[in-house]
Amino acid sequence: MQLNKVGIGLIAFFGLGGLAIALAPLFVSLPAEAVLTMVLLGGIWALVAFGLVLYARHSQRKAAHQDWIFQQGVRGTATVLDAGSSAKVNEMPLMSLRLDLEVPGSARREVRRREIMPVFAAARMQPGLRLPVYVNPEDADDFILVW
Amino acid sequence: MPDVDSAYGELAASRGLELLSSCSTDPLTPLLVEAEGAPLSPALRGALADGVEGIVGQLAYKRNKTFRFHVAYTQVPAATAFAPRVFCIRRGRSTRDDEFYGFEARHSKLWTESTALNERFAVTTSPFQDPVWLRRLFSPSFVDWLRTAEPADFSFELAYGAVLGSIEENEPSADGLAALCDATAHVATRIREECEE
Repeated sequence: MQLNKVGIGLIAFFGLGGLAIALAPLFVSLPAEAVLTMVLLGGIWALVAFGLVLYARHSQRKAAHQDWIFQQGVRGTATVLDAGSSAKVNEMPLMSLRLDLEVPGSARREVRRREIMPVFAAARMQPGLRLPVYVNPEDADDFILVW
Repeated sequence: MPDVDSAYGELAASRGLELLSSCSTDPLTPLLVEAEGAPLSPALRGALADGVEGIVGQLAYKRNKTFRFHVAYTQVPAATAFAPRVFCIRRGRSTRDDEFYGFEARHSKLWTESTALNERFAVTTSPFQDPVWLRRLFSPSFVDWLRTAEPADFSFELAYGAVLGSIEENEPSADGLAALCDATAHVATRIREECEE
C-alpha cells in the first residue's frame, strides 16, 4: 500500500486539527471539564495522525525493500493456478492467489499469496496467467509478484 | 455548441464507422474502473485511423457529480510483456469526486525522466517497469508529439494491452472526436512499433 494525496490530507487534518483542539484551552478560558474534553479529543486526533504516519512509513520501507528485490533478485516465473477474492480494501480486491513458482536454482513449488490490487489488474488474474517474479537471493520465500 | 449525437453521426459518416446506440465496458483501465460499468453511448466502431481498429464513444458516470469523457479504445496485446501499465494523464484531470481512502495498492510510480512531458502530463508506470523500454517508447519525437498533440485535453492509459485515449470536453465537435481517434491511434501505433523492435 502507498500513501496518496487523500492520505496526506487526512494526516494533516487529524494532526493539525488535533493540535489545535488540544492547545485551544491555552488561548481561551474554559471550564476545567471542557479543557479535559478538548485535550482528550485533540490527543485522539493526534494519535490517529501518528498511526497513519507510522503505517505510511512502514509502507515506504516495504516499498523500498520490494525495489531492492526488483533490482537484485533472481527473476523467475509464476503461473496462476487459482485466483479469487472475498474481500475488498479501500475498494480494491484482496486477491488470494495460488501460484506455481519456477525460479532458476530452486525447485519448482506451489505457493499462496495475497495481494491487494486495483480492479483492472485483478480482472486479469485467471488460471494459466504467467507473471514475472523476483526472488530475494537470500530468502526464497521473499519475492515480489509483478502484476 | 454542437450536439453530441450529431457530432458522432458526422464522424461516423466521414470515417465510415458503424454507429452503435451503446457499447458495454469492462474495467480494463483506471478510467473505465471509475465508470463502474457505465456504457459508451453513443458509440462508433471501426477504424480509428489507418490500421487501428477500435471503438470511440461518450463515457458518462456519476461519482458524487457527473463526469463526462469521450474515449477511444483499441488494443495492443503485445505491450503487456513490455509495459503492463503506462498512464499518461493530463495534469489537473479529475476522474472522481468521492475519494476518501488515504492508502492505495502500490501499483504505479511517477516517471519523471522527461521534464518536457511532465509539464503537461503525469506519467505513471508499474513500480517494476523496465526503464530502458520506457525510454525507448518515449523517444524524443514521441515526447515532442505528446507535448503538442491535439486535442489539448488528451490523455491515454495503457493497461495490459488495452489502450484508452480520452478527452474531457463535454460536447466535442466531429473534428474534436476525429482528433481523439487520431491521437489514440498514433499512441497505439507508437506502442506497437516499440513492441516489434
